[in-house]
Formats: sequence, C-alpha cells, structure tokens
Amino acid sequence: MSAIHINLIDYLIIGGYLLVTMLVGYLLKKYMRTGEDFFLSGRSLPSWITGLAFLSANLGALEIIGMVANSAKYGILTVHFYWIGAIPAMVFLGIFMMPFYYESKVKSVPEYLKHRYNNATHGLNAISFAIMTVLMSGISMYAMALLFKLMLGWSLTASIFISAFVVLIYIFWGGLSSSIYNEVIQFFLIWLGLLPIVFLGLKQVGGFSGFLERVPQTFLHSWKNLGSAANNPLGIEWLGVVLGLGFVLSFGYWTTDFLVVQRALASENLSAARRTPIIAAFPKMLVPLIVVTPGLLAVAVLPEFSQTAAKSAEYNSALIMLMGHFLPNGLLGLAITALLASFMSGMAGNVTAFNTVWTYDIYGSYIKRGMSDKHYLRMGKYTTVAGVILSIGTAYIVQSFPNLMDYMQLIFSFFNAPLFATFLLGMFWKRATPKGGFFGLLAGITAAAGHYLLYKFHVIGYTSEMGANFYQAWWAWLTDFVVTIAVSLVTKKKDEKELVGLVYGLSPKAGERKKFYLRPELWGSVVLLAAFILNILFW
Amino acid sequence: MADTGKKFHFLDLRIPLGGLLSFYGIILVIYGLLSNKEVYKKSLGININLIWGILILALGVFLIGFAFFKRRKAVNNKDKL
Repeated sequence: MSAIHINLIDYLIIGGYLLVTMLVGYLLKKYMRTGEDFFLSGRSLPSWITGLAFLSANLGALEIIGMVANSAKYGILTVHFYWIGAIPAMVFLGIFMMPFYYESKVKSVPEYLKHRYNNATHGLNAISFAIMTVLMSGISMYAMALLFKLMLGWSLTASIFISAFVVLIYIFWGGLSSSIYNEVIQFFLIWLGLLPIVFLGLKQVGGFSGFLERVPQTFLHSWKNLGSAANNPLGIEWLGVVLGLGFVLSFGYWTTDFLVVQRALASENLSAARRTPIIAAFPKMLVPLIVVTPGLLAVAVLPEFSQTAAKSAEYNSALIMLMGHFLPNGLLGLAITALLASFMSGMAGNVTAFNTVWTYDIYGSYIKRGMSDKHYLRMGKYTTVAGVILSIGTAYIVQSFPNLMDYMQLIFSFFNAPLFATFLLGMFWKRATPKGGFFGLLAGITAAAGHYLLYKFHVIGYTSEMGANFYQAWWAWLTDFVVTIAVSLVTKKKDEKELVGLVYGLSPKAGERKKFYLRPELWGSVVLLAAFILNILFW
Repeated sequence: MADTGKKFHFLDLRIPLGGLLSFYGIILVIYGLLSNKEVYKKSLGININLIWGILILALGVFLIGFAFFKRRKAVNNKDKL
C-alpha cells in the first residue's frame, strides 16, 4: 500500500468534492419546508435523477471494492450479481410493483405493510429495517475510514469524524434531496474515476483476448462451469445461482429494500417512478465493466493475485492496488474521490432511509401520533443527528468483524429474502390475511436464523460461504411463502374495500397515457433482452 | 397548479455537477501540461491526465450548457403565457 503517494492536486480534487456536496446541501435548504420535502423530496424529481440515484444507492464503495475482490477471486462468475441478479428484479419492480408503492401514497416500504396487513407486521419490519440501516451505515463508515487510513495515513478516528460531519451537514440541510443529488454526483465520479484503470489495464494485457493466456479458463465463463459446485471457483451450481441469487436475494433486495425504493418514491409522477428502476438497469448492466474487468486485471497484472501466488491474497485491496499501479497523481485523486463519494453516499442513503422509517413508521405510528407536519420535520432533523451518531457507534462495533461482505449478505438473507415473499403475496394475492403476513414474515426470519445456526454448527454443509448464503435466502423465502399461505387460509381476511390500490386486481388501472417511448414496458423488455445477450456472449 | 410551480424552482443539479466536473477538467488539463513525463511511467507512457481532463471538461461544460439552455426555454415559455 506504500506505493501510493498523494500530492497537492489529489487533495484539490478531494477538497473540491467535499465543498460541492456541502454547497448542494446548503442550496437545497430553502426548499425543505414540509415533511414531504425533507423525507420524499416533495415527490418532484425527474426520472433521470431518481434513476441514477437508484443505482448509486446500491453502488456503494463497499459494493465496488467487494465486487472487484470477488472478481479477482471468482472471475467472470461475478457477473451473475448483475445480469441474472439485478436486472430482472429491477424490471419487475418498475413494471409490476411500483404502481402499488407509488399510487398508495405510502411514505415508506414498511408503511405499505401497515395498510396491506396490520400494525404487527409493520412494526416488525420497521424495527428490523431501522436496525439494518444503522448497521449498514456503520459498515460504510468503517470501511471508508480504513481506506483513508491506508491510503492517506489519516487516523481511523479522524476519518470517521470528518466523514460523519460532512454527511450530517448535508442531510440536515437538504434531507433526501441532498442524499439523492449526492448519489447522482457519485454516479459520474465512479465512472470517471475507474474507467481509466480499465482502459490502461486492457491496453497493457492486449484487450479482452489478452486475458485468455493470463487467467484460468474457469475465470472467463459465466455459465459453462456451473454444472456442479466442484467445477467452478464460486463453489455453487446453477440451481443455487438461479434460485438463491437470481430469484430470492435479488428480488428481495431490489423490490423491498426501502433504501432503493425510496429513490423511486421521490419521482414526480407514477410514470417517472416506474421508469426509475428501469433507467437504473441500463448502467447497472454495464457496471461489470468497471468491477469485473479490474478484478481480472488484478489476476493478470499484479503478481500478488496471480494463480501461482499464495492463496492468502488480500482480495479486498485489489482495487486500491490497481489504482496505485496504473494511475498517476491527478487521476489518482479522482479515483480516491470516487470511492470517498460512494462511501459517503452509502452512509447518507442509510441515514435518510433510517430518518424516514424512524420518524413516520416508529415515532409517528407508535410513540406520538397525529402531531403537526412541523413537529415531524423537526423530528427528522434530530433523527439525522442521532442516526449519524449511532452509525459512528456501529462503525466501531463493525471493526470486530473480519469479513464485511459475508456479513452484509448475511443481513440481506435474514431480512430481505423472507420479506420479498410477504410482498409478493401481499401485492398479487388478495386472500393473504393480516395474520398470515405477520406469521409468515416471522417464520421466514426464524428460518433464516435456524439455517444459519445449522450451517455454523456444521449440521449442513456447502462448498462455499456464498453457496450457504444463496441457499439460506432461498429457504427463508420459501418458509415465509408457505407459512403466509397456510395461515392465510385459516384466518380472517381483510375487507376488499380496504385493499383497493394495494393489491393487484382490486386497483383501478392507472390511466397512463404516455407516448410509447416513455413506457416502462418497452424499456424493460429492451434491457432484459440486452442482459440475455450479454449472458450468452460471456457464456 | 402549485405543484408544477414547486417542481420548477427545485435546484437544477446539472449546475453544481457540471461546475465540479469543469473544475476537475481544468486542473487535470493544467497538471497534465505541466507535469513531467516521469509521472506517466505508471500509465504506460500515456499522459492520461491531459486526455481524461479534456474529456471531463467537455462533459462538465455540456452539463452546464444544457442547464442554461433548459432554463432559457422555460423562461421563454413563461413569457408566452
């Protein structure tokens, strides 16, 4: 790591970014008059902004560093997180689920559960989500501090406090809008910061065909070696990829995680809200270019990651080492800023989602109901401060976990995977009852916990940690799905009048008269087809 | 239509974003012109700061230009009403 030397120009670039983010927060301050402005950007943003923010909210630095590490470890198999994982789920959200979220005017994902099922389901989800966001925000902060310690030599504590301060300032002023605007800025910085590595690296190895002689064959195919778990570096066969990752984990994350859905809810109208995830799907499809290629480059170019090197390679540092290897001062500063931006927006995204869920779903629903909008707006601002302080706390807790990526996947398989079954049945099966929803969700989370214990105590085994995560997600989902149906069949269902606008088949068809080129169905099909072709190309 | 009025006044992100990118472009180009060749050993002898700086500057100027173009169009439309 000592190969990296930062000079004045790099600091100018980093400083310029910090200044602009705070300036944007300050400029947004005067637009924040009501709770809706602060928590939902007044439902007024155009779809290109919400779409890019939707993608960036997920494209945190942890994700980038982790996926580069994954690619250095598993090769092109990493594309499954994109082309089978994310894309179908994003299109599904835009076409089928968004009308229920947006038209029911809910302020958050948990609030939908309140209307569709009951308070118990709502409370269970709101509380588990609040805990999850604070933990995730702490992870982002800790990882960022670690990066700055390694690259710039700043102390861990100083890095944590500086970043927390900047994030606090801009959310306090601009709420969700600040968060979203920063995500869009981050989107541009990530591409501009990482593409030079890809270009220079490909030039050095002689294009994609240059990989053939430098990287093992199993690293270069996405499906060919998935016949059995033993034949590929990921240690999982196609069924696990399709069911666990492609279906449950991805759909669970993209369609029910409020962190991403919140961006779409900020759109100016239903049509823009439905376009949001689909607009995001296009750049999402191309993200492997800036994460998988560097991963392969690390194997091909850096001696530390070559196949003959010791297996103890520190994969998480692959991206940083590539930055030091290829980038001169100047672009180095830009790449560092890109990582900084994505850490900060990862943290900010979690803090704004926490804000909303705490203020409306916990405080406003169970602690102090029916207060004025001003009261909740003020509460939202206090919660920002509290959320940031809590994240600092969790950042220090996270220090004790050795592998951050596994930890994140674990959290997702606990909370998001079963939740997806609850939503799927809630939106598309009107017979699902309030009790069914609650016990289904509870059973799903319990099943995930049970599976985790069985795996940890070696009662059941998998070829790899990742395989265990995929199957855990699948079993949690299935349990939730079956239990919700079973309980629903024997308990009293809700009056159909209460479900209008919340369930498929009971909602008036939204009379969207949009020009054909603005229709989400068209672009959804285009992006699905493109993802399909990419899968074939890299078979 | 108080709603559209609010939408209208929201801060146009293209301006700060374009400004930031233009700033990056300018300093990267200047640095690219002034720095000696030694620096670019890493990047295979290519003056990547200069090339990439020009590209970023172009993107930044485009974003700002686009924002002003939109704003003028909006003002013109208002005049007609």
